[in-house]
Amino acid sequence: MVKMFIDDRRVEAQEGESVLDLARRVGVDIPTLCHNEALEPSGACRLCSVEVTFPGWDGWRKLVTSCLYPVAEDLRVYTQSERVQKTRALLLDLLLARCPDAPLIQRLAAEHGVRTTSFVPRAEPDDCILCGLCVRACDKVGAHAITTAQRGQHKVIATPFNEPPEECVGCGACAEICPTQCIELREAEGVRSIWERDFELLRCQTCQAAFMTVAERDHLVKERGLEESYYQECPSCKRQRVAESMAEVVLKTHPDFVPKQMGGEPLPPLPRVSRPGVRP
Amino acid sequence: MKRLLVRPTECTHCRNCELACAFYHSGAPTPVGPRVIEVRRVRTVPVPLTCLQCDEAACVAACPADAIRRSEETGALEVKPHRCIGCRACEHACPFGAMYFSEERHVALKCDLCKGNPTCAAFCPTDALRWAEA
Repeated sequence: MVKMFIDDRRVEAQEGESVLDLARRVGVDIPTLCHNEALEPSGACRLCSVEVTFPGWDGWRKLVTSCLYPVAEDLRVYTQSERVQKTRALLLDLLLARCPDAPLIQRLAAEHGVRTTSFVPRAEPDDCILCGLCVRACDKVGAHAITTAQRGQHKVIATPFNEPPEECVGCGACAEICPTQCIELREAEGVRSIWERDFELLRCQTCQAAFMTVAERDHLVKERGLEESYYQECPSCKRQRVAESMAEVVLKTHPDFVPKQMGGEPLPPLPRVSRPGVRP
Repeated sequence: MKRLLVRPTECTHCRNCELACAFYHSGAPTPVGPRVIEVRRVRTVPVPLTCLQCDEAACVAACPADAIRRSEETGALEVKPHRCIGCRACEHACPFGAMYFSEERHVALKCDLCKGNPTCAAFCPTDALRWAEA
């Protein structure tokens, strides 16, 4: 157990966790744009910046990203100090110049007292805040199809050589996780288009509805060892199959079954059967 | 351990459970959800369909982010929304079609037994859904 302080409140941290994880666990709000518990923290958005100090530092305080800063004995963290507030407002001011049309940025900025940007907005803005969540999610899925390219003001999220990525499986995790929803994913006539690549959609054997890409199915079967037979039907048709088999059991055990709402008498309970392998 | 008992013979297809589930999981008791229980009628038999909390679950095996975890308290498999990356692998892997996806919040949705007090069972007027020792 690591004993430390957040905003002068005594808290107990677990060895090895980050200041952000600890703050979230004990109910201290720190805003973030690039954090997901399942993904490696990257410190890209800087919005989770907090001030830290140790008793031996003579009151000197350091500004750090809480998602990357490990907890330590006697550490003192300040999440709402004037310097932290100013830093967050400046970051959001800059983000607003970069993405003036993104509702999430507008809302966050307004919450921190920034209504309009004091910088010159980009000439051709898009909604990408370069948080890198899409890149890390893609790595997590195991496709490694996108990455950040170039640096400084030229930094972009791109595919290798700016060509349609061979490794992409078209799962759409990048588009789902994007906080500003700026990754374009289109679906039409059994084809999903993302990153300028077209993916054939798998059709349900029963109802012919398109529900996932063929490439994603192959990827999951190969990489995660799942049965190919799981992917023959869409979720709705799978439910229908469960319903049919349960109904079959009812009609077999109660041949004269009349539903309650149609005047059926309450049925005697089914005999109990022991089911080996089922947890008590 | 308590379990969610489903008895189609008692069900009247009133779909109260669907509304209660939508209220708990999406904050609005709308018939369209998102919710994680559904009642379907096959011939004369209404069947409430929800997650079976499999011992060896396909959703867990499919999730690359380790976002679906077993609760020690209730035995339910719960989605940790802060870990979900939205790849929908679980939704497509579940052999029973019991995984859902919230388009609004961009995270997977599944029955978590309402953290130990299933709303569907509480609102079921006929005991077709019951939260009891089994």
